[in-house]
Amino acid sequence: MIAVLALIAGVALGLILKPTVPVELQPYLPIAVVAALDALFGGLRAKLNKMFDDRQFIISFVSNVLVAGLIVFLGDQLGVGGQLATGVVVVLGVRIFSNVAAIRRHFFKA
Amino acid sequence: MSPADPAPSTRDPAASRAAAPVEPPRAAPPGQQFGGDLLTEIFNNSMDPGYADAAEKGRRDTPLGVAGRVLALAAIGFLLAVAYLKVVADTPATTQARDKLVADVKRDQATADRLETDAEKLRDEVSGMRDQAFREAGGDAKYLRDLEAVTGLGRVRGDGIVVTVGDAESAKDPVTGKPKAENSDGKIYDRDLQKIVNALWYAGAEAVTINNQRISGRTTIRAAGGAILVDFKPVDGPYRISAIGPSAMRRTFDATPAAKQFRALAGKYGLVFGVKETDGMTFAAAGDPQLRLARPVPSPSPSPSPTPSTTPSGGGR
Repeated sequence: MIAVLALIAGVALGLILKPTVPVELQPYLPIAVVAALDALFGGLRAKLNKMFDDRQFIISFVSNVLVAGLIVFLGDQLGVGGQLATGVVVVLGVRIFSNVAAIRRHFFKA
Repeated sequence: MSPADPAPSTRDPAASRAAAPVEPPRAAPPGQQFGGDLLTEIFNNSMDPGYADAAEKGRRDTPLGVAGRVLALAAIGFLLAVAYLKVVADTPATTQARDKLVADVKRDQATADRLETDAEKLRDEVSGMRDQAFREAGGDAKYLRDLEAVTGLGRVRGDGIVVTVGDAESAKDPVTGKPKAENSDGKIYDRDLQKIVNALWYAGAEAVTINNQRISGRTTIRAAGGAILVDFKPVDGPYRISAIGPSAMRRTFDATPAAKQFRALAGKYGLVFGVKETDGMTFAAAGDPQLRLARPVPSPSPSPSPTPSTTPSGGGR
């Protein structure tokens, strides 16, 4: 419950503050969002499996975002930023899908 | 990654799983044990193994942990909101730029049209004054007028035919309702218009227009990207090619190879092609051809340079 409230509070905060993303950080925003979604769904699945752990959740969120950003940054420096970003999105996307599938199985048994 | 290790059992499972985080050893089928298939690996271990570890150790919620969880979730929500706002803010920027360009083009086209009308009015004025000067000098301007009509520099009126050609209707995508990729077979190109205009000249036409643009000896019909330019002005389909000529022109035109070819294409690819006789058409004059290099041989005595314009005009055909 508190988690949902925190999530809503974060969204509200973002919508109210309307921060402008610095130009140099803009390429990382979509990657960061996908990484955050991965951590979010991973945490939700763990919660439903009664295995949730705060430490694991926080670390996975922070490291997901940082590593995804780092990979894209590295790719940009090497001139293959787009391809590496695609790679990150594919890997995280697969994880999100299978986590959501597990969550769905939990709710609908199907 | 080594695909399909032939002797999996001889290797240490822990070493070959170096990339995967520590996890309870699972009884995997022999073929998959050594991580040959990255996607299978991701699918099987989509949840961070740390959750399982934590559950095994039986960690408890601590106030600090809950605070961190709240912070992390708030950060995720914040991130989502920021990304949403950025997407919303980005979309108008691209359309704005496009709208501005479209407005610029429209404005410039309007300016060009106005200038064209001005030029036509001034040309009428000039020819009126010239006629008057001729009359006062006791000469006859009729010869000059005839020449102008023949070369496309004067307005003409008469009976003739109108040829209508247009692109074939492109097939619509059943899902999106948008036209599918243009079928190049049913599309009208600049060379098609050239072919028809040439066939009309062959059939005896004395004056030709495409979408009310008079074709003179120096008018170009060509393509720029996907658009067709007649005298450097874009024309849109369906194209109406009108010609003033003898009463037999329709029959002659229908017998030309070009007309036969277009009829065949219309039957095969569904492009628009029609010929119809029209009476009492009036054609406007073509744009000034602006001779820059060629000079009339018997140089007119009072003014040696008949067209002092320096405006760059495009090349001929």
